[in-house]
Amino acid sequence: MTTVTWTIVVGVKQVPDADEVGIDPDTGRLDRASAPAVMNPPDRGALEAALSIKDVVDARVVAMTMGPPMATPVLEEAIAMGCDDAVLITDRAFAGSDTWPTSLTLARAAEQLGADIVLAGEETTDSSTGQVPPGIAAHNGWAQLTYVEAVEPRPEENRLVATRDVEGGHERVAADLPVVVAVAYGEFDPRPAPLHRKLYAENDFEPIEWTAEDLDIKDEVGLDVSPTSVGGMETVQPVERKGEVVETADDLAEQITEVYS
Amino acid sequence: MSEPNDAGIDVDEYEDVWVFVEEHAGEVMPVSWELLEEGKQLSEKLDQDLVALVIGEDLDDVAEAALERGANRVLVADDPVFEPYRADPYGAQFRAMVENRKPTIVLIGGTHTGRDFAGRVAVPTHAGLTADVTEIDVDDDGLLQARRPAFGGDILATILCEDHRPQMATIRPGVFEAGDRDPTVAFDADSITDVDVVVDESDTVSEVLEREIGDTADITEAERIVAVGAGVEGDLEPALELAESIDAKLAASRAAVDEGWVDGSRQVGQTGKTVRPELYVAVGISGAIQHLEGMNKSGTVIAINNDPNAPIFEHADYGIVGDFAAVCPDLAETLASDERTEVTP
Repeated sequence: MTTVTWTIVVGVKQVPDADEVGIDPDTGRLDRASAPAVMNPPDRGALEAALSIKDVVDARVVAMTMGPPMATPVLEEAIAMGCDDAVLITDRAFAGSDTWPTSLTLARAAEQLGADIVLAGEETTDSSTGQVPPGIAAHNGWAQLTYVEAVEPRPEENRLVATRDVEGGHERVAADLPVVVAVAYGEFDPRPAPLHRKLYAENDFEPIEWTAEDLDIKDEVGLDVSPTSVGGMETVQPVERKGEVVETADDLAEQITEVYS
Repeated sequence: MSEPNDAGIDVDEYEDVWVFVEEHAGEVMPVSWELLEEGKQLSEKLDQDLVALVIGEDLDDVAEAALERGANRVLVADDPVFEPYRADPYGAQFRAMVENRKPTIVLIGGTHTGRDFAGRVAVPTHAGLTADVTEIDVDDDGLLQARRPAFGGDILATILCEDHRPQMATIRPGVFEAGDRDPTVAFDADSITDVDVVVDESDTVSEVLEREIGDTADITEAERIVAVGAGVEGDLEPALELAESIDAKLAASRAAVDEGWVDGSRQVGQTGKTVRPELYVAVGISGAIQHLEGMNKSGTVIAINNDPNAPIFEHADYGIVGDFAAVCPDLAETLASDERTEVTP
């Protein structure tokens, strides 16, 4: 029997904790700056999917994130869960990047790591475009599987079979490697990090650091190459509702029947 | 003569508004017709063609339906390689069509399929791609103004794509309303163009092993909806009883879908569907902005929640503070005996 060693790269992102985002009393807007930073919750499912593949296939799992050095805790969390290594992709040149250069950067990093499989959450809770995983696949010309609820490694065929949610149904798709997989949120229950891994991750582990130059994309990232820009922002006015609270179910039934009469 | 800009793009070379018509085995996703109707406004303002794009197999009926729903022209890529859907052949074909024909605007339904392949078009063409757009317009210079909720939904951001083309957007089902089909529309053989298929089965990197469609509930067209949230803790029975009593469809917040209690096709919100029923009953839903995004076009909103401080009460017309497991059956019983709740055909 031949042994294959897969390299599985997991993209993770640091986001403001959606449950802790408060309202700025001066502007009345959501104040994201003061919210604690956490790992994007769907990415935790991607880590679990990666580690579950490693449970059955000889594999090396590497977490990667693009962000400032203060994003390092999400990599430590990935290491604590069981990743073998982690890469911090950080450079001022990335500032202002939309999803086009962001997915280019992650695509180059995945290539440089020799990825057979790239995993990520289906979208981030802060910008929720869901564009980065397909973007990574597109930049590298790799196969892609999104909204994935289950994975079945097929090392003997050099393929990955996945169950996709296709809205109202499911399909099983086999993809050639390398493949980019976006996992559906809530489908992979992340394993707890053992204490000794946590201690190692926090005290001894140092991530690999790469800049735009290390990835040879210095002139292909940032604001200048981003096709989209924000033209303006306006506060959403909530729809006016009556906001009446009634005492009994009968009172409520009365109002519901009003709708039809 | 127009000139290429700093990005090397001559934006004046790009014209026409394209709408992707998503079909699976001949069945068109309703969001396609919603986008076609909205795209009409853009193409009329620009004084350019509204072009429907259909990819799949045996598409004659779909192409004609697109013309009867307002497309000036239809581009058809018809080949067995496109059925069932796969990201790589769809992406490669769509990309080739964009590169050859240069549309200025491309609208794609924000379904799992649309969000899956849109990047395989936008990345190689270096197009601007905006996700989950809820309002679109063109300004006097013909520039697309794509508005989307940002920062959790309390801000509407206008996203522009000034120097790159096409200007692409994905739009969730239910955000816009479909128009009517007009069977009297006159068209001829030139209205439908069969384009060259650039994908061969041997180029593909994926294979669909099986595909099973079960729950295809379309909540976007429901007149009455009972929606459940995290507060029901997996107990759907009371809400289902209430739904049955008023002939309503079941929907859910993201939290209930993520917990696996309700299928994702029934999710209401910014990352789900937009609904506009005459009656929306929120059961155990706290009222996060991202959920309100999907239901604020509803007629009357009713809230049932055991937390008197839940934000949903401010965004409802009538609410009751109480245990859903007791309120729902009470309500169902009262309503079931009231003849006014009977649905008239």
